[in-house]
Amino acid sequence: MCGIAGRILNAPGKVGRDLVELMDAQEHRGADSTGFAIYGTPRDTGYVLRGMGFDKAKMDADVADLVNVIRDHGADLLGDPQLLTDSAAHFCFRMEISDPRDLKAWVADADTLTDRIEIQSCGRSLEIIKDVGGAIAVADKHGVRDMEGTHGLGHARLATESSVLPNASHPFWARPFSDVAIVHNGQITDYFTWREKLERRGYRFLTGNDSELIAVWVSDQMKDGLTMEQALKKSITSIDGVFTFMIANTDGIGFAKDRFAMKPLVVIDHGGDLAMATEEQAVRRVFAEESDVINYDGPSLTGIWGVGNLAMAA
Amino acid sequence: MSEYVVDVGQRHIREVNEEIQEACKRGDKIRVVNTLSRHNLGVGLPPGADLYFEGSVGYYCGGLNTGARVEVERNAGWAVGEGMSDGHITIGGYAGMSCGAAMMGGTIHVKGDAGPRCGVAMKAGNIVVEGKIGYQSGFMAHSGRIIALGGAGESCADALWAAEVWVAGDVDSYGVDVQIKEPTAEEVAEVDEILAPLGLVDSSRNWRKMVSGERLWYFESRDASAWLMI
Repeated sequence: MCGIAGRILNAPGKVGRDLVELMDAQEHRGADSTGFAIYGTPRDTGYVLRGMGFDKAKMDADVADLVNVIRDHGADLLGDPQLLTDSAAHFCFRMEISDPRDLKAWVADADTLTDRIEIQSCGRSLEIIKDVGGAIAVADKHGVRDMEGTHGLGHARLATESSVLPNASHPFWARPFSDVAIVHNGQITDYFTWREKLERRGYRFLTGNDSELIAVWVSDQMKDGLTMEQALKKSITSIDGVFTFMIANTDGIGFAKDRFAMKPLVVIDHGGDLAMATEEQAVRRVFAEESDVINYDGPSLTGIWGVGNLAMAA
Repeated sequence: MSEYVVDVGQRHIREVNEEIQEACKRGDKIRVVNTLSRHNLGVGLPPGADLYFEGSVGYYCGGLNTGARVEVERNAGWAVGEGMSDGHITIGGYAGMSCGAAMMGGTIHVKGDAGPRCGVAMKAGNIVVEGKIGYQSGFMAHSGRIIALGGAGESCADALWAAEVWVAGDVDSYGVDVQIKEPTAEEVAEVDEILAPLGLVDSSRNWRKMVSGERLWYFESRDASAWLMI
């Protein structure tokens, strides 16, 4: 089933808190794992990396290997890595780094380590936090409620076609393009056909989750120069299955719905102060009063909501 | 009959529904407030119950209704009245996907639009939508009538069984195996009988009555031409 959500604030603020509410309200749609993509204060240079390593016992060595790859590409850490080690097997990290010489080349090299340690987001403002468990558990563990920003995405996963693994949670980063993330509700039925095609083009898949395909597919479209709007429209005829997915970048959030209109999307828009979710009762957690609700129920729909005010409040 | 108020908020829906059922047993008229678009409100209501939901409700409101009168002030989520066997449900605004899915009797009246697959697999009863019905409405509907006064979306009445879909207004496209019939005066009179208690009779309407072409009822796999209509 899965549940997705998005939030755009009129002015930068506690977007993490609202996304936790949106996902807690939809936990019954899937409590296997929960994830958030949060767009904070955009920086002029440097990136924030979020990710995880899969063997806590080898954390120091694996983090050191990743840092070496960062340094090999002319970048460096801008502070000590933040490490979260309270899971049974995996650990999570957050790093701030200076600009590598060539982002794509660096990501390609860093991705050679993904059997041990995996970068799950890279952005001037994007940070992806994801883990196994429900919204409250993941939010408490990673301090999501305290994360401020302009907009973001959320996802509650009911695993169907692939395993419940922390890195198979949404959102997925459209690597190697910084600040692009997707969340998806549905099933991609031509996953293996597309995966084979994209792997032949050199893309690497890190999980068996069909939703990861959308992130990789979006990367391929961006590589070909398509805008978000063009990619969203093209996805409806290119990708098979039942889906509603959302893509976010630093400018806003877009969505696409399949040709069969099987997966809902409900939006409340208070003059650019927006909440989107799979279920209306979730957006009502953010806007409790009666509001005009927009149901994107029809087939083959796409849309983009822009972020009005990117300047972080003092 | 006294009015009893049920406050929903973030309470467990099971507890809310138990409170509603108790009020039904007492014969109270029930006003449900602070609904917050929560799911499963008023499922399995008994005959004679009378409920008014302030604001909007979530999924399955009035599902499995066996004869209650239900009114929702604003919008309803997916599958309002799913599986109902009797009673009357009124939605003041928009009804989400699969309104009246598999219903077996009674009437659903939607004052706004209805989402995709309105009346999917319905077995009996009537759905009256003052606005437009969404994509693939009437899909595999077995019996009963869907009456849309404001038009229909794409793939209307796709793979219909023995139900009828009546549309006044534009139809974006027809589904597979649909036949458009000219309704007789007697049939229009029957539909007007459904519309009359709702105050919706208008003799100037230009009806499109859709029924099954029956080419998919006993599908002959060696003759795939029916599917080529897709």
